[in-house]
Amino acid sequence: MPKRKLDPLPSAAFQILLSLTDGDRHGYSIMRQVEEQTSGHMRLGPGTLYSSIQALLEGGLIEEVTRRGDAEPGHERRRYYRLTASGRKRARSEAEKLADVLRVARARKILRGDYV
Amino acid sequence: MSKTIYALLLRLYPAQFRQAYGDEAMQLFHDRTRDEQGMWAKLRLWMDLVADMATSLPRAHRHADAVLVGFPSESVGASPRFQVLQLRAPGLRAFAYGGVLSVVVFGSLITWFGYSRNYRELHMWQGPTKHDLLVRDVAYSGRLSSAPTKSEMQGRRSATADGEAEIGAPRESAHVVLSSWGGGTGPSGFQSTQPSPAASPSSAEPQSMQPKVQNATAAMVEAIGAHQIVMLGEAHGDKQEYEWLCDLVKNREFAQRVDDIVVEFGNSLYQKSVDRYIAGEDVPVDQVQKAWRNMIGAVGPPSPVYAEFYSAVRAANLKRRGKHQMRIVLGDPYGDWEKIKDAEDLGPYLAHRDEWYAQVVKDEVLAKHHRALLIMGSGHFLRRNGPGLVESTIRAAGATPYLVVFGTNAVGGYDNLDQRFDAWQVPAIVSLAGNWVGELPAMPVVTGGTAPATPLKLSDAVDALLYVGPRDALTEVRMPRAELDGTPYGNEIARRLSIQMGHPVDFLSEQTEVPQFPRPQPRPPTNDGARPPLPPMPKSIHDPLPSRPPSQ
Repeated sequence: MPKRKLDPLPSAAFQILLSLTDGDRHGYSIMRQVEEQTSGHMRLGPGTLYSSIQALLEGGLIEEVTRRGDAEPGHERRRYYRLTASGRKRARSEAEKLADVLRVARARKILRGDYV
Repeated sequence: MSKTIYALLLRLYPAQFRQAYGDEAMQLFHDRTRDEQGMWAKLRLWMDLVADMATSLPRAHRHADAVLVGFPSESVGASPRFQVLQLRAPGLRAFAYGGVLSVVVFGSLITWFGYSRNYRELHMWQGPTKHDLLVRDVAYSGRLSSAPTKSEMQGRRSATADGEAEIGAPRESAHVVLSSWGGGTGPSGFQSTQPSPAASPSSAEPQSMQPKVQNATAAMVEAIGAHQIVMLGEAHGDKQEYEWLCDLVKNREFAQRVDDIVVEFGNSLYQKSVDRYIAGEDVPVDQVQKAWRNMIGAVGPPSPVYAEFYSAVRAANLKRRGKHQMRIVLGDPYGDWEKIKDAEDLGPYLAHRDEWYAQVVKDEVLAKHHRALLIMGSGHFLRRNGPGLVESTIRAAGATPYLVVFGTNAVGGYDNLDQRFDAWQVPAIVSLAGNWVGELPAMPVVTGGTAPATPLKLSDAVDALLYVGPRDALTEVRMPRAELDGTPYGNEIARRLSIQMGHPVDFLSEQTEVPQFPRPQPRPPTNDGARPPLPPMPKSIHDPLPSRPPSQ
């Protein structure tokens, strides 16, 4: 079976890694966080979300964590995911690549206005 | 029905994927259908799902392993056994079925959400349609907005300067520009002459459109039992609302169930004093009252209802000594008015009010797996383009809050009162799903008719409505001028107002009680015909929150 490719890192996978930088999350929480951090531009559907999660698990960039069920009903079906050390490293390296692209774009005066 | 459809669509994925993530995918779908109410949101959800399937299905099949899908015969000793391997991706026929199913689903949804909704409005209310509401929508001044982000502050300022937003009396200006004491509900200068869609009572509504009007305390007890977080969007200083809240905390079941009450009307610098006070210790009133008197978000003196609420929670805890105790958690930023000398000192705190409140909920409630009632101005909590910052933070942490907002029977402009509310026993909480109350335009209901109707529907903005009485019976309790003039606290309030507004202003009340929703008045003209001056925009509004000092 062909393994999913993570090089280059697909944007959905990168956004998932970013969403996990501040703590463990379950699928829906990841989806919401990605939506928020992309200003609503990316809403991951279940298929994309869980196939990306599967690829990231296989690549060792995230791991599933055992977590006590919350008090709310329905939580027993949720699985939480955590960024691994290599996942954090990969997210940083991906962000640095993007920063390089941004630097070039600014140098070429493609961008107008203030971008950080 | 929609769950069944999605469950069928999920079957198009490889068995391996379904076994690993089928339940989670269903849970995610369930979460989205619960959170994304309204025609557009539901349509968007299905469009997302179809787009998602179009991209993820081929990939899922390309990467699928051969998988054991059945055990048709038992293994007996060393005898041979058979297992079934799913080796092939679905053929063209499966995709054709999927396509047909999608068309059927979309067709049904569009018919159901579009045609039947309009049909109900046109034929049952006999009033204006959604289109009429859209036509009469006007730019809303932002008085109900939550604490602004940096860009929003800039945008709002420029919009105001461009004449796109209204500036009213000084008190109102403070709401607009500083967005302070958030989500306030006073005059906006708007006056509508249009009838509201719900202003004409109709007996033609089917039973399914009738709301279930519950006793507010019973409904709140039920809500706090079913949800880890219940959010209550309040009208600041409302007498009838706070009389009910003070009764609520006395309720045995409520007190047993709730761990924390997170309030906007308490400066978190004073958490330590409030913890001791609420736990029943003797704390000098001069110390503990700093929590509500020194609020960063307040413009002018705080309503006395807040002191009464703290006192009611303390009394309830004292009566329940040895049993489960409630805690008041302070959600206002920790700025110290004794150190705030000008607008630059104040700016970072004002700019991060919602962020700080959300952080407090995360740290003090969610991280401890507590149950909590969150109280904040309704403007902070209303869902306009989806959940606000506080609710988003809670949802991102995995909890599903229930949102109740104070409202009344004004359903159009100031003079449009809906008589159907008269039959309700107050105080009441009404769940808004699937009834005519939920179909009302949100803005007039939550502002007593002082803000115009917009397309935002009440059931899209909140989960339930708190109704404590008809609009004209509601009163706001104020600290009157007689209690402030010539006192050190009165002088301090004048100093703070001067910092907040950029110049000295005086809008203290002569009375202890005033109508909660006074009739909107046109803006007072200035001598030169120009708009009143805007408060200066502190440069520090872009700064992060300073580090938190030790609690007092």
